[in-house]
Amino acid sequence: MFRKTTKQLSDWLIAATSSRSFALLAPIAVALLLGACSSNHPRDTLNPAGDGAQISAWFFWLYMILDTVIFAIVVGALTIALLKFSKKKGDDDSLPPQNHGNMKLEVIWTVIPTLILVVLGVITIGGVFKLAEKPAEEQKVIEVDVTGKQWWWEFDYRDSKISTANELHVEEGTQVALHLTSADVIHAFWVPRVSGKRDATPGRSYPLYFKPFEKGEFVGQCAELCGASHARMGIKMIVHPVKGADSYDNWVKGQLAQAAAPTTALQKAGKKVFETKGCASCHTIRGVKELSQRSRTTGPDLTHVGSRTTIAALALTNNEENLAKWVKNPQSVKEAALMTNLNLSDADAKAVAAYLFSLK
Amino acid sequence: MSAKLHDIEALQAPEPHMHYERPGKTGLMDWLTTVDHKKVGVVYWAAGAFFLLVGGLEALLFRIQLAVPDNDFMGGETFNGLVTMHATTMVFLAIMPMTAGFANFLVPLLIGARDVAFPRLNAWSLWTFLGGALVINASFLFGGPPAAGWTGYAPLTGPEFGGTGIDFWWSGLALLSASSMAASINFIVTILNMRAPGMTLLRVPVLGWMMLVIQFLLALSFPPVTVGLILLGFDRMFGTTFYNVSMGGDPQLWQHLFWLFGHPEVYVLILPAMGIVSEILPVFARRPLFGQTAVIFSGIFIGFVGFGVWAHHMFTAGMGPVADAAFAATTAIIAIPTGVKIFNWLGTLWGGKMTYPTPMLFAIAFIPIFTLGGLSGLMHAAAPLDLQQHDSYFVVAHFHYVLVGGALLGLFAGTYFYFPKVTGRMMSDGLGKAHFWLFLIGMNITFFPQHMLGNEGMPRRIYTYPADAQWDLYNMLGTIGVIIMTVAMLIFVYNVIVSVKKGAIAGRDPWDAATLEWLTESPPKVQNFDFTPIVLSERPVWDHKYTEGMEIIAPEKGESFHMPSYSWKPMISSGFVLMLIIGILLNTFMPGNWLWIVAALAAVGVVGSVWAWVSEPV
Amino acid sequence: MSAHAAEAADLIDHGHAGDDGHGHDELVENNYMKVPNVKLAIWTFLGSECMFFGSLIATYFFYLDKSIGGLLPKEVFSIGITSISTFILLTSSFTMAMAVDTAKSGLMSKSRNWLLITALCGATFVGFQVYEFWHFVHLGLTLQTSLFGSTFYVMTGFHGAHVSVGVIWLLMVAKLVHSGKIPAERAVFVESAGLYWHFVDIVWIVIFTFVYLLEFAK
Ligand code: HEA
Ligand code: HEA
Ligand code: HEC
Ligand code: CUA
Ligand SMILES: [Cu+2]
Repeated sequence: MFRKTTKQLSDWLIAATSSRSFALLAPIAVALLLGACSSNHPRDTLNPAGDGAQISAWFFWLYMILDTVIFAIVVGALTIALLKFSKKKGDDDSLPPQNHGNMKLEVIWTVIPTLILVVLGVITIGGVFKLAEKPAEEQKVIEVDVTGKQWWWEFDYRDSKISTANELHVEEGTQVALHLTSADVIHAFWVPRVSGKRDATPGRSYPLYFKPFEKGEFVGQCAELCGASHARMGIKMIVHPVKGADSYDNWVKGQLAQAAAPTTALQKAGKKVFETKGCASCHTIRGVKELSQRSRTTGPDLTHVGSRTTIAALALTNNEENLAKWVKNPQSVKEAALMTNLNLSDADAKAVAAYLFSLK
Repeated sequence: MSAKLHDIEALQAPEPHMHYERPGKTGLMDWLTTVDHKKVGVVYWAAGAFFLLVGGLEALLFRIQLAVPDNDFMGGETFNGLVTMHATTMVFLAIMPMTAGFANFLVPLLIGARDVAFPRLNAWSLWTFLGGALVINASFLFGGPPAAGWTGYAPLTGPEFGGTGIDFWWSGLALLSASSMAASINFIVTILNMRAPGMTLLRVPVLGWMMLVIQFLLALSFPPVTVGLILLGFDRMFGTTFYNVSMGGDPQLWQHLFWLFGHPEVYVLILPAMGIVSEILPVFARRPLFGQTAVIFSGIFIGFVGFGVWAHHMFTAGMGPVADAAFAATTAIIAIPTGVKIFNWLGTLWGGKMTYPTPMLFAIAFIPIFTLGGLSGLMHAAAPLDLQQHDSYFVVAHFHYVLVGGALLGLFAGTYFYFPKVTGRMMSDGLGKAHFWLFLIGMNITFFPQHMLGNEGMPRRIYTYPADAQWDLYNMLGTIGVIIMTVAMLIFVYNVIVSVKKGAIAGRDPWDAATLEWLTESPPKVQNFDFTPIVLSERPVWDHKYTEGMEIIAPEKGESFHMPSYSWKPMISSGFVLMLIIGILLNTFMPGNWLWIVAALAAVGVVGSVWAWVSEPV
Repeated sequence: MSAHAAEAADLIDHGHAGDDGHGHDELVENNYMKVPNVKLAIWTFLGSECMFFGSLIATYFFYLDKSIGGLLPKEVFSIGITSISTFILLTSSFTMAMAVDTAKSGLMSKSRNWLLITALCGATFVGFQVYEFWHFVHLGLTLQTSLFGSTFYVMTGFHGAHVSVGVIWLLMVAKLVHSGKIPAERAVFVESAGLYWHFVDIVWIVIFTFVYLLEFAK
């Protein structure tokens, strides 16, 4: 009963005002938070591109307006008091009134905040339940098992059995259900423009539901301290359109293919390096070498590593030069990275980089 | 001061005779063996102020790293270590000890007592705190500082992932916990039992009340985290499986045990500052505190509710909507009593006749700055919004507004206000104002833009960030702000050092204040009061001065007060407890039987020294 | 004004005003709350201890039945033996009560004897626990075996440590009673040790009921 009313109320409120119309209402708030919603910021939580972020942003503006009013009252009263009740030059030493309080006022400033908070509480609880709602059964859902690892993300798509790293591909307007867990310490999945964050805790699996409504690339990163390179555990979410060459379905098709065979001599040499220098003990390339079991130290699936825009959890843009730099000395790129430095020669590194980059 | 009936400065009484079992020590020996609550308080305050500088220096260093994108001034592990030590130092070794300094020095004076209930136990708390501080900071010399954040989330602190710094961290915190627990018992008994005649509970000054409330918070909230730390220590030393996921352990257990302490802890940090502000505002507005009873009860209420809100730090941990909703609702309730305080302070100023020496400036600034921090806290309490703000710089902004803008400003106000009572000399008002303005400006330049950083998606605890994230401007401001705060702090340190020697002589009652501590000399004698005050209102000294509201009874000629004698026992038994911790740490570096050998010796030492303690004539 | 004057006169008349702590034993003196300082301190301490054991016991239940592998409670517990040691500990609460009672009536040497008997019971209980631990380890349940092993040993181990501290405390009090440093007027020191002792007993009753007995009621 309670749940239902709170949900209805909040649904109604959420429907009645979008975060943008709220923003219009809040010029003071904007002034206070300077350029807080400078809209083309790449990770702006107040410029939502997914329904989760939208609900959060809605709550932000609700609280922002309320807080601005309360703050203005407090500062206003304080300012007037300072102006009116300071001891002035030439004032005598007589004492100001020595009254000890006022019951009526006491009641007023207890009851009014209480009422405000009751209303806020109801709306907030509605929002909590709304965000926790399971996606409806009938619709299409992209379900992904997300595993946080020191210091990269593994994405395993439940339907297509694709495994990728650090770059999560989803579809515009399609419900996404992430199932978050961790292989070592606690991480947190956060792409600010799309949705709020959720912890990836070892030994547990938590869902995170959202529906992106804007296509494009959205960046984020791990948001729970997870060791030396916590700062370098980036996430990129690519929201594909439903139709066209760039569609999500096309991407899935591409990923399902076996790894491309090397064509140039350099690439062939690179493949040799991959097979012989120990890379395969941690990395899978489908059709070349597959690992069955993943453990804490094993690395990302490299079957289509060439199709990524970045490597090592957004630490470097993906190109042959950077790939070579990475495989030669991962720790120089990313502190304490858990990929072994195999002391490849420059030539080997160059070759393997060429090979990996060709794996589109 | 036209309307005065009595002049406090002119009080004269025959000097009573001090009676000790054994004569006291002098010089350094006196400080080491003292059981005088005032000396203990001074040492607590000084240690806290020292660690405030250390913690600030750590902040300065990691802020330099954050000044520009892709900076390589320091690496991730160093950065994490500095952030962890910054927070641990500030919370446990700076703010709490400075608070303890005020509690020790002031509480007996506020309530008109000659000492705390257990003077030697009080000294034991002091030494044990210093031992804990030493242990935590020793990590810098042996294997590097802890680097898992001050919240120490398992399993990052566990045997598999945490470095040796974690051992120093958990064992040092365990010592601090023991110290705080002893102190809390001591002060609860002192405030409840040792009040001057006529000082009913509702006549206890607000500061005394807030100190009482936090002692209850400490006594009841430290045990859960102590258990959490012990489980962590056992996991690390003996291979138990509490936080070991592969054995079925659950890292969330730690989070509950930690926050069950951690949330009440933040009120431990803020309530004393609120108490100080409640003492200062009326004095310089020259009016009674508006709604004193309401201010006291709101403090008690905050203490109570503070125990039921801990999981608002875990909204993203996946507790499920029912728990999230419940904790969001209880958390918001705290805004009500806090608002009562804010509005009553405004009510105090309204209609007053204000003057603005340094303590008043800090106390006034507390109001808007803390309100801002409280309001952003309220945003966090809205769980759907906190999903974005949690572990972002928005949280960093929130808690620095309440901690730096609240707790620290309050303690600064208290320092300027009570300095004359402690040392007998005034601090320089000009330097004080320079400190005030620079610090206020610096803190806002640093912390205000962090709200924006949070909204723009910057997570906390990251040692570097890419240029294309567009966080550089606000981070640069953050670093500039610390530099301004550093200048302010250096002025403060200079002011303290110079004023101790050269400040203007203060007299008993330099601010024309209202409560009992201003009845005594500055600095107070060992026995605190030559007179026995009979308290008849919540403003005894004020009423004595202006309305004939208090009686004071002078001692009879030749009367003697029994005062506790000096003692080495607190330090010695605290030393043996420290030895136990050292045994544990030896175990980290030289696994084997060290622990048992040292522990056995330490246990014998503890029992022996306690026996010596109880058989010593007081 | 006159109300104030009357209150002041009243306070002075009733001797409160003279209570400035000279010459008498502040720890024992009845104070504002009508409870002596030591006793109030022990009560506060026990409040804190409630949270301590509360957290340990909560941890035990949080992890109950979540062990992966290892022995189960039912496979190691022996209700018979633990009942005996529980009975001994309960008896010691009675002897402790006698010690307090006799001390309050000024029968100090009797009180000393009761204290010694109580300490002996406590030591026996600890002895039983050492045996129990030894026995469990031989059955194959160690600190590291499983969550059950970890939680069980740490929880009961800390209780055992508290009993051991209590035994030392009682011995110290007995010695002080014997040497006359705790005379009848300071019986509150015996009483305080008693409060602690009863508390430790109660904690054991909780552990015994909910950890041992419940296991067999299921
Ligand atoms: C002094 C310390 C202090 C204080 C006083 C507070 C006060 C409050 N805090 Fe804060 N908090 C911290 C220190 C403190 N906090 C710290 C250190 C952390 C981070 C820990 C970490 O992760 O490292 C934290 C984190 C934190 C979180 C978790 C954020 C996250 O990590 O996701 C939350 C969530 O609810 C929260 C809420 C609150 C609330 C609601 C208050 C309230 O008590 C505030 C109440 C005050 C007001 C609301 C303003 C005045 C009121 C009025 C003027 C009346 C009118 C108001 C209304 C009608 C609304 N705090
Ligand atoms: C009461 C507590 C308290 C106080 C007072 C402060 C004070 C300051 N804090 Fe801190 N802070 C915390 C508690 C506190 N902090 C906590 C709990 C965290 C969370 C940690 C975590 O994530 O685990 C944190 C985290 C934290 C961060 C986030 C780090 C991150 O997430 O990556 C930042 C970043 O700017 C910061 C900055 C500052 C600054 C600039 C000050 C300034 O106000 C400091 C001002 C003081 C000085 C500038 C001193 C200057 C003096 C000297 C330099 C003289 C030195 C001389 C000698 C030593 C002899 N703090
Ligand atoms: C010890 C296991 C291990 C070995 C051996 C290893 N790697 Fe890795 N590799 C990793 C881990 C772990 C990561 C993720 C590191 C990170 O981002 O923090 C990684 C990441 C990578 C990436 C970036 C992938 C992406 O999607 O961002 C490439 C490319 C790569 N490794 C190539 C190689 C090559 C080539 C070799 C052999 C020369 C090799 N690795 C050997 C563990 C290993
Ligand atoms: Cu993973 Cu931070
Ligand atoms: Cu909190």
